Amino acid sequence: MYSTKKPSRLFSLIAALATVALLAVVAGQYSAQMQQIDQNKSQKNPESKEPAGPQPSQLQEKRVAHQVPPLSGTGEDAKKAVLAFIDWAGLSTPDEREDVRKMISSASDNKEIAGALCEEAFRAQQVDHSRALLVLSILGELRNPSGEECLRRFVNLPFPQDGRKTSEGEIVEQIDLGTLQAKAIDGLAYLRTMSADEEVLRQVQKHPSIIVRAEAISAYLWNHQDSPDKARSVLTKYVRKDEKIYLDRVQRDEGGKAESFNRKLEYYLKSHPEAVAPAPKFEPPKDEKPKKDYPTQTVKPPVF
Amino acid sequence: MIIRKIKILGMLLLPVFLAATAYAVCNQSSASQADRDLWSTHGCWRDFYLWEFRAYDVREGDWRSRGYFDACDVNVEFAKHWNAAYLVTYGLSDNHDLAFHGTVDYRATAEAAGSDFHSSLNHTATDDTSVFGRFIWHPFSSNEVQTSCLLYDPALSGNANPGSRAGDFMHEGWHGWASRRLRNFGGCNGHQNGPQGACSMNPCGCDYFYFHGIGAYEFGAMYQDDGTASRFHSPNQVQVEFLCDVADLSKSWVPDTVRRSARSDANQRAVTRFINGPGFSCGSPRPW
Repeated sequence: MYSTKKPSRLFSLIAALATVALLAVVAGQYSAQMQQIDQNKSQKNPESKEPAGPQPSQLQEKRVAHQVPPLSGTGEDAKKAVLAFIDWAGLSTPDEREDVRKMISSASDNKEIAGALCEEAFRAQQVDHSRALLVLSILGELRNPSGEECLRRFVNLPFPQDGRKTSEGEIVEQIDLGTLQAKAIDGLAYLRTMSADEEVLRQVQKHPSIIVRAEAISAYLWNHQDSPDKARSVLTKYVRKDEKIYLDRVQRDEGGKAESFNRKLEYYLKSHPEAVAPAPKFEPPKDEKPKKDYPTQTVKPPVF
Repeated sequence: MIIRKIKILGMLLLPVFLAATAYAVCNQSSASQADRDLWSTHGCWRDFYLWEFRAYDVREGDWRSRGYFDACDVNVEFAKHWNAAYLVTYGLSDNHDLAFHGTVDYRATAEAAGSDFHSSLNHTATDDTSVFGRFIWHPFSSNEVQTSCLLYDPALSGNANPGSRAGDFMHEGWHGWASRRLRNFGGCNGHQNGPQGACSMNPCGCDYFYFHGIGAYEFGAMYQDDGTASRFHSPNQVQVEFLCDVADLSKSWVPDTVRRSARSDANQRAVTRFINGPGFSCGSPRPW
């Protein structure tokens, strides 16, 4: 109902108080921010307790490339070798990729190396996601039967139903385990054994996380590039109805060129018009207005 | 009577609790292997962190308890913040044949200086782990990019690595782009509601992926839009494109763990956050 009745005295009083309160809040914020600007003018530079180190370029010159630690041994030696190899592999560069692959391949029959990697993968999962990703990658590249068993166990770890939920609704524990299980799937697909392929296809269909299902599709296709039509036809039986688009997903190939990528993208968008985004909306955000820029220094970064 | 006493006690303790919350800091006892590996490539470069705190407008008052005066301890937030900035500043190869965007774009998005990319901003850290990061508009001073302990503490989240942290600089910086250009990605924390289409976020955090080819944007032109879906970016898209460029096209010295974590984050975002998804897939599924 719309009313044109004259406002009561009480209402006027409340309105006046509300205006005063609002002005006080705005003035407070203004004053706090001006105070902050003044403080910033007199702020100290950051410091460190250690002496300054050399230029990064000097450090990089000192690093000896292609010195791969051995991945071999039995018992405690195997465990030590695995830990040293993981530390080195984390720091390795693309130029050393083939060195890493060769060393891993040389250990592919070593059950104890596979066991030590498996143990480290489960340990790292609890404390350091980046290390767990690294270890699962080495284990996958190893193509060892015990490694297969370990990856299968990892990918079947119970998927958390609750945990640390962000305001946007994602559960951090789900994302963390899903991304690691996706890495375990890469290893299973790379084995190309009948049992490992069965597990990959099962996860394409059944895994509760799209992160794992999507990687399973991508990894299965990549590992069957010698018979792509057959791979697609097999996958079609397992991929969920609303996820068929994942069979055509655009990927940037290493060593490729812009033209080939752009052709693939054009074809993808023609085949899947639903993937074309609608025109963006242009209503301004409600509480924001363009404002003048406050000065910040734009000096060049130091020379590398 | 007892309930009344409890209420009074609660009211008395509330300020103490709030004060404790305000002064809490992220766990400062460890760093992820990816952080340590990247760190070992510069070994704490003084010239860089003395540049970075200005370039990112990192303020003593906000970072004093977060390692502002202990800049070479990789376990504290300030060191991790500038470690991520180091990756943005020097880590990309700027390969014109394959990169979605160049260092010039990613630096302008992440750094504090006002430009075509956003109005000036400053970087802070927050203990609020209900977000990875947050863009806050301030009426009378520079805007604020907050990054949370989820991006610093490896025991809390897999995103506590330099690539994901820098990826968040891009995401929040891009909200700054929208603020400057009066664009609107949606009314749910600056995104669309979810779940929707291929986006599984619930209730917020969904974006569109405005697919573009390689070379569609000259390096330095990422800020441009022409009012259509063919020349536009959403925050999650900028983040995925940056993470993909780190994963696939970083400089030869960038350690494997940094690339690997970036790929993992890019690919999970590409399949969970886009209404018209999935977004691009990065890297090869070969384990090594």
